[in-house]
Amino acid sequence: MRQITLSKRINELLVLAVLDHGPAHGYQIALSVEERTGGAFSFQHGTLYPILHRLEDEGRLRSKWHGERRRRKTYHLTAAGRAELAAGAEELERQFQALFGLIRGTHVA
Amino acid sequence: MSREHPLKPVERELKVAPRRRLDLIEEVDADARAMQAELEGSGRTSRQARQDALRHFVPADQALEELAARHAPRLGRWARSAGWADRVVVLGVALAATLAGFIAVAALYGYGVPDVAAFVTWPLVAVIGALAANLCWAVTQLLMHGDLRPTQRRLLWNRHAGLLVVAVALGALGAAWVGHATLAPLEPPAIAAPESPMEQPPVWEPPVWEAVGRMATVAGTGLAAAVFGLFGWLALTPRLLTDEEAERRIARFFAQARPQLTLASDPSPEHERRGRP
Repeated sequence: MRQITLSKRINELLVLAVLDHGPAHGYQIALSVEERTGGAFSFQHGTLYPILHRLEDEGRLRSKWHGERRRRKTYHLTAAGRAELAAGAEELERQFQALFGLIRGTHVA
Repeated sequence: MSREHPLKPVERELKVAPRRRLDLIEEVDADARAMQAELEGSGRTSRQARQDALRHFVPADQALEELAARHAPRLGRWARSAGWADRVVVLGVALAATLAGFIAVAALYGYGVPDVAAFVTWPLVAVIGALAANLCWAVTQLLMHGDLRPTQRRLLWNRHAGLLVVAVALGALGAAWVGHATLAPLEPPAIAAPESPMEQPPVWEPPVWEAVGRMATVAGTGLAAAVFGLFGWLALTPRLLTDEEAERRIARFFAQARPQLTLASDPSPEHERRGRP
C-alpha cells in the first residue's frame, strides 16, 4: 500500500473532487479549488503538477492534449479515480472525526 | 538587458527526458496564460495577474524535485530509492571498459599477432575501453535520468568521433609496424651453390603473404574497434534523434515566447524574473 502524508492525501482528494464535476485544465482545477473552498486551500508554486502527474501515473486521471501550435492539456477522472475519491473521502472523514473527537474530548465509537 | 523566460529555470533544473520537459513547460505556460487572462478580465492589472499566475503555476524547488522523481526512468527511480545511483553508474562504466579491454587483448593474441609492438597494442586496448566507457556513460545517463542535454550529447559525439579516428589510426600504424618488423630484417639465407653448372640455384622469396596476413589482422583489429564504437553509437541514435526533436521544440518554445516578454516593459522584481514567486 502506498504511504503518503495527510496533506498530500487532501490535495489529491481536492483535485479528484474538482474533476468529478467534469474535465478541466490545470488552471481551472487550481481556481476551482481556491474558489470552492473559500480560499482555505490553494495550489501555489506549481504544487499542482506533481499531484496531477502522480494521479495520472496511477490511472486515477487521464489527460489529453488539444491544439497544434499552442497545446493545452485537459484532465478527466477515470473510474478508478472516482472510486478513490469515494473511498478517500470516507477515510478522511473518519480520521477527522477521530481528530476532533480527541480535541473536543468526545469519544468516537 | 534580456529578460529570461520564467519557465527557463524550470526547464534548466528539471532533469528528465526532453519530451517530458517540453510537455511540462507547455502545460505550465498554457495554465499561467489562461489564469492571467481570466484574472485580467476580472479587473486585475496585467502585472498583478501575471504575478499571481506565475505564483500559482511555476514549479518551485520542491515541486521540481517531485516531478523529476516522478518522471525518472524506472531503473533510475529504483537506483535512487536504493541510494546507490552513482555507484551503479561508476560500476557500469568501469565494467564495460574492462570487459572491452579484455576482449581486445584476447582478440589480438588469439589471432596470433603477439609481436605487435606494445606501443600499438595497449593504446588500442585503451581506445576500445574508452569507447565502451563513453557508450556506457551515455546509456546510464539515459537509463538513470532519462536525459542527455545537448551539451552532453555533443561531448559524447566529439569523444566518440575522436576515439574512432584514433582506433583506425592505431590499426594502420600497427599494420605498418608489423609489415616493417616482418620484412625489413630479412636477408636471403645462405644458399649452397649448385653442384652442377646445369642446375639452377633456388630462388629465395621473402614471406610477403605471411606479412600481409599479419598486417591485415592488425589493421582489422583497429577497424573492428571503430566498428564496435560505431554500432554502439547507432544503437543510441534513434533515442537521441527523438530527444533532439524535443530539444528543438523547446528552443522554439522559448524563441517564440521572447518577443512577448520583451514587449511587457513593466519592470518586474528579481524573483519574478527568475520564475520564483
